[in-house]
Amino acid sequence: MGLIRKNSAPETPATEKRSRTRSCDSLQQQLEDASPVARRWAARDLLDCPQAVPALVARLATETDMSVREVVLTTLTRLGNEAAVNGLMACLQSQDAALRNEAIVCMQQLPQEVAPIMQQLLASPQPDLRIFAVNILESLCHPDVESWLIQVISQDEHVNVCAAALDLLAEVGTVRAQAAITQVRSRFADEPYIQFAADLAFMRVTESRSRNDKIVD
Amino acid sequence: MTKLSISEDDFEKFREFFYRKTGIHFEHSKRYFVDKRLIERIETTGYSAFREYFSFVRFQASGEELQVLTNLMTVNETYFFREDYQFHCLVRSILPEILLHHRQRDPIRIWVIPSSTGEEAYSIAMSLLECWPQISDWDVEIISSDIDTQVLHTARQGHFSARSVAQMPAMYLQKYFERQQGGYQICDALREAVEFTRVNLSDREDTRAYRNFDVIFCRNLLIYFDDVSRKAAAETFYDALKPGGFVLLGHSESMSRISALYKVRKFPDAIVYQKPREA
Repeated sequence: MGLIRKNSAPETPATEKRSRTRSCDSLQQQLEDASPVARRWAARDLLDCPQAVPALVARLATETDMSVREVVLTTLTRLGNEAAVNGLMACLQSQDAALRNEAIVCMQQLPQEVAPIMQQLLASPQPDLRIFAVNILESLCHPDVESWLIQVISQDEHVNVCAAALDLLAEVGTVRAQAAITQVRSRFADEPYIQFAADLAFMRVTESRSRNDKIVD
Repeated sequence: MTKLSISEDDFEKFREFFYRKTGIHFEHSKRYFVDKRLIERIETTGYSAFREYFSFVRFQASGEELQVLTNLMTVNETYFFREDYQFHCLVRSILPEILLHHRQRDPIRIWVIPSSTGEEAYSIAMSLLECWPQISDWDVEIISSDIDTQVLHTARQGHFSARSVAQMPAMYLQKYFERQQGGYQICDALREAVEFTRVNLSDREDTRAYRNFDVIFCRNLLIYFDDVSRKAAAETFYDALKPGGFVLLGHSESMSRISALYKVRKFPDAIVYQKPREA
């Protein structure tokens, strides 16, 4: 007993005995396998099969094992193609709150891919979807985030959507947002939360100017 | 001769390509580091511009030049007994818990990634020999992997600088090393106890065969990955671990910010992450 070395590296893929075939079709079938390990491996290997996005998205609707769900979501994020982004966007309509949140987190990691559909999301007739769009903006590394938020508080008719955007502007906004914040405060003069959120956001963006001025000094 | 330079566009192209191949993402703040190494390789390989060299790297069938570049682009700063509180945690808390459920005939398997020049894997080996009395009752396998073939070569040779061994207890130095010109040579018994293998953590084909580990040390690697690659690495570890197995990350890293798959375990010496036993 003690430290041992087997004197051979783990089996390489070439020598490893694979119990299942790995074609795109068979991998999609394995997403339905009874074993979560097999489903995880299938979801991981489908990274090589961009056409499998619909199967991956469909799996999310029924998959209960968290470890498989995570791999499916990671594969969709890594694929990051138009179909994957559309699939994630479709998840925002789900009744399952966990799935909606997972889709939001994935979309936050795809700023370049999500940017082209942001206008579509922000123009959705459903206020809930517009709020999810603002939630995506919360961690989206994209230079237009502030512009989108200003657009929301300038145009959106729904108080909750504007409130969500104001909350975020209080964190990320700059003096550019000042005029829009003043306007939304007037537009929803009877809404106490908007008054509070707008005052806070206005104070924060003004502070951001003072900070920047000091840096310039 | 015109002085070589890397344009913004070249940097973006290379950065995207290198990320896809290795999962390592270079921030703009690393521009000087990356440019310097790229220029060095363009000159050494005899190309006159980035464009031709990049095409060579991308389409070379053997992948040899990509490996050379990877070796140059990865940081391999380490030393013996770095963050040694985790080795205390291994022998005082993790291994005793593993033994509660372990079959005697199976070896306990430890995976160290990234290996770098081997200091961490050898430190674990010495910690087990010196601080874990049950080593005489159990077989322990240590596999230490890295994407960089040059550091693996150094690790296998087992020759270390004075700076590398500076934090090591004197007794260990005396017992396991021999003073040689320009540094210290680790003893053959330890050299033969650790398996060093080349693995790209971001390559599914490389990691697929790495399974049934009880403990994974992955310290100060994921900080170089972006969010998606970090999450993919956590998922790779999940399948590499036995149920109930443990992951140890660097002191500034937290699995809780990467993946919800692991249980946080607070032991007296360290916080570590465990794959659920029922998984």
